Amino acid sequence: MKYFVNVNGRPIEVEIVDRAGRLNVSIGGELVDFSYEEVDKEGQVALVMDERGYAVSVAGKDNDYHVTLAGHAYAVEIEDERERAAHAAERERSKGGGVIKSVMPGVVVELCVAVGDVVEAGQSLLILEAMKMQNEIKAPSEGRVKRIFCKAGEAVSAGAKLFELEALEE
Amino acid sequence: MFQRILIANRGEIALRVIRTAREQGIETVAVYSEADACALHTRLADQAIALGGHLPSESYLDMDKILAAAKKTGAEAIHPGYGFLAENATFARRVVEAGLTWIGPPPDAISQMGDKIVSRQIMKAANVPMVPGMTEPAADAKVARAAADEMGYPVMLKAAAGGGGKGIRIVHEPSEIESAFRTASGEALAGFGDGRMYVERYLVNTRHIEIQVMFDAHGNGVHFGERECSMQRRHQKLVEECPSPAVSEAMREAMGAAALRAGAAVNYEGAGTVEFLASGEEFFFLEMNTRLQVEHPVTEMVTGVDLVWEQLRVAAGEELGYGQDAIQMTGHSIEVRLNAEDPSNNFLPSVGTVGNIRIPGGPWVRFDSGIYPNMEVGLNYDPMLGKLIVWAPDRKQAIARMRRSLEELNIGGVRTSAVAGLAVMNDAGFQAGEFHTQYLENMNMTEPAGERDKVVAAATAMRRWKQANRSALAPRDADRLGWIARGRVGASVYPHIAGSTAGFTREGTRS
Repeated sequence: MKYFVNVNGRPIEVEIVDRAGRLNVSIGGELVDFSYEEVDKEGQVALVMDERGYAVSVAGKDNDYHVTLAGHAYAVEIEDERERAAHAAERERSKGGGVIKSVMPGVVVELCVAVGDVVEAGQSLLILEAMKMQNEIKAPSEGRVKRIFCKAGEAVSAGAKLFELEALEE
Repeated sequence: MFQRILIANRGEIALRVIRTAREQGIETVAVYSEADACALHTRLADQAIALGGHLPSESYLDMDKILAAAKKTGAEAIHPGYGFLAENATFARRVVEAGLTWIGPPPDAISQMGDKIVSRQIMKAANVPMVPGMTEPAADAKVARAAADEMGYPVMLKAAAGGGGKGIRIVHEPSEIESAFRTASGEALAGFGDGRMYVERYLVNTRHIEIQVMFDAHGNGVHFGERECSMQRRHQKLVEECPSPAVSEAMREAMGAAALRAGAAVNYEGAGTVEFLASGEEFFFLEMNTRLQVEHPVTEMVTGVDLVWEQLRVAAGEELGYGQDAIQMTGHSIEVRLNAEDPSNNFLPSVGTVGNIRIPGGPWVRFDSGIYPNMEVGLNYDPMLGKLIVWAPDRKQAIARMRRSLEELNIGGVRTSAVAGLAVMNDAGFQAGEFHTQYLENMNMTEPAGERDKVVAAATAMRRWKQANRSALAPRDADRLGWIARGRVGASVYPHIAGSTAGFTREGTRS
């Protein structure tokens, strides 16, 4: 199985192929020699590639994974052909609609939009205060505000529904 | 000297006080909330008293419970750390009234410095340079406008009782002042029960430089030089250093003398920090923090003085025993704060469970932190997990040492500001020492593309790790759908991860 790899949003020219449980990594058709050892059960990995050592840490949850290496965070997306097609189709379908949830608990300081408003991608929807800081919650895509599930002054938990956006008619 | 002290705090600062006390043979009493039953300060103190509760108001802010714990354990003194009750004059008074020693300044000094208008009046009388502005509260917006017109715009409209960015407005034009006065005053009244406002000139591209002072109870005081704290964002400091690349010997002497006048004017005792706004060689009094500060280690590294020990000594009534000449600054120290936040996603708070920890070592590297494996990082407490501090003979080597240490450090399970610290170390403006308090806000915190071999290593490790941990990732299909359906927050600040989960999840498209 062949994988498509994006790191920090950029496709990288590496061929990673899963052959019956064995991972083959090659660059420009040249196979890369590597050794992979897990240091602990917490994501620390000792990786040696072409005799260079890398102290890698893999972290994340819910398929939002990133790798930390020498102090930098690398957001890595790996998809096989089937996943890639499925993701593309899903993105197309979900355009401009859906429920927006909070990923952190906090208090709603201010609602910036009302039901019926048409919002652009990146427009502020509400201000959420968490850890003594005010955070702007932005629209992930354009759409019309169909429902609002919270009000100013209300405490919301992680995962609480905040808004429902509906797609704009063509 | 005390035989036993109680530390009314948690996290790295509780640990910091415990460490010095242990070295000096003083017994320590920790207090802990329900959430901190496994915390390091709970485990490393000689005695630990449960306060119960998860919220600060039920534990570290509950004066009755803390005083009861001191009484029960026979502690003779209370160290408040920073935050929580450290600058609460009422608590300081109650400690003294209970017959205990307050390891901090006299309660009156706390309340005088806590009121911005009162402190401005005292500082003016003590001949401490101040940002040009009013020393009396403005009765209404009209008075504020007249004062602002005279000073010239932009001006800063500030609440007497404000703090943490609340009750403050920058006003660029006369027409803005009325609504700014109304909202800022309302904010201060709601937040602090005091709506008094005053106006001062707003200085642009200034630095935030502070002086560490220490006074004993016998009228002796010294300063320990300055700390450069201009690398901040929304009034939250990220990188601090000692000395400041912008302070000459003459300026240091002038600032130190002004800071000592400021402390003497309120009969200060113990450790304190006088904060100044600096512009070129000019400096202006901002406020005095009547406690030990988060960034005190950089001063310790450069002067070789254990500030917590000095706090304990003068609180116990000892004389300082040395003068200003004894304070020598050697080399350069830098601190990076490790906050649970995601710099690449607009510094949004990050919560989670701490996974793997890899702590840097080597010469002149110091890690002050309360972090431990499986620690829950939530929203109830300050997001600062710890601090990384280095020392080197000069600033250039200190930057190189901090960069090396940040590359070694790894905290799994939550995102931290370590990546932002690394970005600062690699920034040309920071390296040249040319920055101001707005500098960090305008830095690009997008992670660079990365060197090719590291990118390949990251991708390989990730793919291989997923293969090895497939069973641990059992609900893969569901996750995948969730991943697909996710929107993102702040597309403009997080453009490099398509469909990432940066801030918000989105559903409703699952079929």
